[in-house]
Amino acid sequence: MLAYILRRLLWVPVVLIVVSFVTFALGVYGPGDPITLRLGQHANPTDVARIRAELGLDRPFLTQYRDYVDNVIHGDLGQSLVFRGRPVADLLFPKIWVSMQLGLVAIAIAVGIGVPLGLTAALRQGTWRDTGIVSGALLLYVMPAFILAPILLYVFAYRLHWVPAAGWGGLFDGRIIMPAVVLGLPGIAGITRLMRASTLEVIGQDYVRTARAKGLLPRRINYVHIGRNAILPVVTVVGLSLATLVEGAFITETIFGIPGVGRLAVESLFARDYPVVMALTLLVAAGYVMVNLAVDIAYSILDPRIRYR
Amino acid sequence: MAATTFETAAPPRRVARSPWRDALRRFLRKRAAVVCLFFLLVVYLSGLLAPWVAPYDFRAQDLDSASQGPSLSHPLGTDRLGRDVFSRMIWGARTAAIVSIAAVATGSLVLGLVLGSMAGYFGKWVDTIIMRIGDIFLAFPGLLLVIFIAATLKPRAVALAVAMEDRLGVQGIVASGVVDYFVVFGALALFGWVGMARLVRGIMLSLKESQFVEAARALGANPWRIIFRHMLPNAMGPIIVTISMAMGGTVTSEVVLSWLGIGIQPPNPSWGTMLWENQGMLRSNPHLLLVPAALVAAVIFAFNILGDGLNDALNPRSR
Amino acid sequence: MLRSRLALLVVALVVVFALVFVGLAIGLVAGLGGKASPDGPSPPAQTPSGNPDGTPLPGGGSPAAPSTGELRILGADPPTLDPHLAGDVDSATYIVEVFSGLVTLDRDLKVVPDIAAKWETTDEVTWTFSLRSGVRFHNNKLVTARDFKYSFERACDPRTASTTAHTYLGDITGCTDKLNGVAREVRGVVAVDDATLRITIDAPKVYFIQKLTYPTAFVLDEANVRSGSAWTLRPNGTGPFKLREWKPGESLILERNDAYYRAPAKLQRVRFILSGGSSITMYENNEIDVSGVGLTDIDRVLDPGNPLNKELINSPELSVGYIGFNTSKAPFDDVKVRQAFNYAVDKRKIVSVVLKDLVEAAAGILPPGLPGYSKDIKGLEYDPAKAKQLLAESKYKTPQGMGRIVITIPGTGTALPPTSEAIIQQWKDNLGVTVEIQQVEFATFLQDLNRGTFQAFEIGWVADYPDPQNFLDLLFHSGSLENRAYFADPEVDRILDQARTEKDEPKRLALYRQVEQMIVDKAPWLPLWHGRGYILVKPYIKGWYIAPLVVPFFKDISIVGR
Repeated sequence: MLAYILRRLLWVPVVLIVVSFVTFALGVYGPGDPITLRLGQHANPTDVARIRAELGLDRPFLTQYRDYVDNVIHGDLGQSLVFRGRPVADLLFPKIWVSMQLGLVAIAIAVGIGVPLGLTAALRQGTWRDTGIVSGALLLYVMPAFILAPILLYVFAYRLHWVPAAGWGGLFDGRIIMPAVVLGLPGIAGITRLMRASTLEVIGQDYVRTARAKGLLPRRINYVHIGRNAILPVVTVVGLSLATLVEGAFITETIFGIPGVGRLAVESLFARDYPVVMALTLLVAAGYVMVNLAVDIAYSILDPRIRYR
Repeated sequence: MAATTFETAAPPRRVARSPWRDALRRFLRKRAAVVCLFFLLVVYLSGLLAPWVAPYDFRAQDLDSASQGPSLSHPLGTDRLGRDVFSRMIWGARTAAIVSIAAVATGSLVLGLVLGSMAGYFGKWVDTIIMRIGDIFLAFPGLLLVIFIAATLKPRAVALAVAMEDRLGVQGIVASGVVDYFVVFGALALFGWVGMARLVRGIMLSLKESQFVEAARALGANPWRIIFRHMLPNAMGPIIVTISMAMGGTVTSEVVLSWLGIGIQPPNPSWGTMLWENQGMLRSNPHLLLVPAALVAAVIFAFNILGDGLNDALNPRSR
Repeated sequence: MLRSRLALLVVALVVVFALVFVGLAIGLVAGLGGKASPDGPSPPAQTPSGNPDGTPLPGGGSPAAPSTGELRILGADPPTLDPHLAGDVDSATYIVEVFSGLVTLDRDLKVVPDIAAKWETTDEVTWTFSLRSGVRFHNNKLVTARDFKYSFERACDPRTASTTAHTYLGDITGCTDKLNGVAREVRGVVAVDDATLRITIDAPKVYFIQKLTYPTAFVLDEANVRSGSAWTLRPNGTGPFKLREWKPGESLILERNDAYYRAPAKLQRVRFILSGGSSITMYENNEIDVSGVGLTDIDRVLDPGNPLNKELINSPELSVGYIGFNTSKAPFDDVKVRQAFNYAVDKRKIVSVVLKDLVEAAAGILPPGLPGYSKDIKGLEYDPAKAKQLLAESKYKTPQGMGRIVITIPGTGTALPPTSEAIIQQWKDNLGVTVEIQQVEFATFLQDLNRGTFQAFEIGWVADYPDPQNFLDLLFHSGSLENRAYFADPEVDRILDQARTEKDEPKRLALYRQVEQMIVDKAPWLPLWHGRGYILVKPYIKGWYIAPLVVPFFKDISIVGR
């Protein structure tokens, strides 16, 4: 087991190097230049060349890349080219924190509603409740955020004044409700269907029949025997989606005015703020690989039938 | 009921029942999935046949009748430039159809199938390499990269196409937006192959040990022949389901990209551009926003139901 | 199982249609509610969700006693607060309140004294400024001419990597040399004594004084700048406000500087909400006091029956949106082709139908409100017959003879494809020319614009300083780097050169009027429209006006009767 973990961990730096190299190359060789963008219509070759030289952007690609990797290993993620002088870490981490809070609440909503719904649907398979639940969940899934959000905003914020329209006040502020709901609703569909499918599979298992034959209380069976086993795939999915929290959700954040990392990512991309884009790509890639590993390990602990060589 | 004469008749001919026909029969019994299939076929076909089906040209502007509600001459009303919404919806379907088919065909089918089969069948280091590459692709923040590629490489691709057109003396290729489609679905395909590859690999792994494969190998069959003629047909069930889901996902991606302004560019129609152009219209002309939104939702919804139905039909589970 | 799937589908379809129906219903009701209903958007009497902690002055308020109170407004996160690094409106908005310089602009965009009490020049080459006495930084340190010398030196230092120094200070002797590493000092700036500053420029230029109103010419405290790379988080400026707090992405708060050398601000605080959101919704919910109005809400707000309409103010922005033709490339190298493209477009109809009269159709280059603007400018107004005739007279004769034509517009939210599409359609209808449209993301667009690879492009230009030279000279002089149309006309150049040094103001403006008409006639552009700003202001906010350029103005705002 330990050997397996170590082997997987060796893989992490490889992934990071490849991802960072490709992204760096796209940044340096791709069209568009952050200095030209800053100068706007006043850009002229002399000024652009001068400022680029000053900021070290005209050095050979490999030199720049080597320096960058060097800095990252020493913990320096560089400075933003758009927010002049501000360290990337200062910019990035508070926003990642905000996005994570939002994402966690959204996942909590999706799981909190999806799991019981899925369980109910499976236990009442074939009835109207089952059908209604599955189709309702699916409907939530297919509405893109930029349609759902304005409609919900209009109804709940503008007409009914139940919730404030926009802004961010932290985890326990009322303003988190709307965006978390918009983010979480589509997730309900996935979780519900997953839970339902998984529950159905569990119900067919022998040990459930045994439990029923033994005359155990249906409630106990449902929650202890069925529920706990059925929830396994949900754990996997939730775990994997934790990695995406770092990416943020651009559309939702823009509509609701959340100072999150999704917005920063896309805006930095269009503004060619390479240091920020690089840092973000590295973080996401690292997060993904680590979470993958963590989920695999968790799975092997939860299900004794799985063994890794 | 005619009286049956007692004759010595030849035993009734037995029609060979292939598993396909069983699956088809199961599928046809799921009326919801069938309706969805029908719906999708209608949407996609009318989209692909848009030049002949749509009543108006999607570009035809009429500033004097802009922003009107539904009427006899314009069943779904007109947008800000006086263009017929109904026609634009159909042309938008064309974009969605082309992009989703192309992206899934290249990404999931070609790349995913081939690479997944290779990984599963040949195993060992081929497997490791392919799966690790897949990991790397997944590790990239997908949306960011697709945005980056579409936003930055597209103008270069278009410039290249323009130069080529001038050299060859042709015109109209770039104008039709084909290059846009290429870049957009290329970018989407680049990230869509991994899921299919993993699925196929898993199936290959389990089928590898089966007897018919051993037999084929014993007879000295070429590995590719084994894969494509013998193994894959047995794996079609999950593959078809995945394709259906992938189509739905691609439609979503295309809509989001166009909404961001880097997908299919105007004047070529796309549901995503229509959503973006009219996103503020909720309070003034809500139908301009809600009609494309409802159709997009319906299409994705239909793909999901279809996928479920196919799943039940092709992988029956004893309950 | 037979029924369940079908039932699922039926339920789903019903819900989808219900959603569309409900959406339409809401839209209808909203339309009605805005007009007649007495309880439309929340009236100001309701308790706002964010309570200001100031008390309003009882009626009338004497001008001498400043009212307390906090103004709340949506703002953008500034890329920087360093006056030498700020090249964008977002940064400049805060910088002009926290820092200041020799001169500034008043409401009518006239140059007025700021830290310099007066200035004089005899030849428009040497400018001598006499500084006010008793001007202090926020930390109470006295400001001297030597601080200005330091600031100019730093701005022109290549290590500062300022993107604006060349544009605004480049005329000063030695500045460009220092930027390019040829000189070590800006010889043109001399601190004669503590209260006198002399600036020498490279040629007589009447409009030079305008450029000194921009942040690049503001004064910095050397000790403050040297205190560390994060000095912009605790700036020691001279402006009417101090930076009280800046939480990037959340809020930025300005606090009144009571020791300001001119009349102190009337507001106690200005709170900028940086996290964003729907501005107009927050305004209606009383979360903010001022809001911009976008295209999507303009209908509602312009309707006289809507209560919001009374709170609306609008005024011209000093901007012009246009389509530029690359006069060095076919087919736009022929002036008749360019004119034909001008005559073929019905701008006024597009502005009224597609843009709902949110902007003003442009006849010429200069926008209303800019000195030198004249209503009498004769534009190339819509005349399809003339357009066709001109095309036939050109050297290309027919649409086919012109080959492929591509117009490039910046995408991703900065341009309006519907208007571009309308224009292209009109070219097709009235000239028979099919123009392909390329929408390119802005960074790539700028890069290619600089390379001159476009045949035609759509973009806008906003005034850097309020002078016609900023539009006509910078954009049309053959020697100017910003001349993206590559327009070169010796007669135009001659008049522009003459206007640069003309000291008599009416004569100078007359020269610009003359050259503007010449430019419009030669049609290197298709001028489209001039922008207008639309702002909603709560009734208890007094003194608000829409400043077409970024000038300090929060000090004149007051809150009365909230």
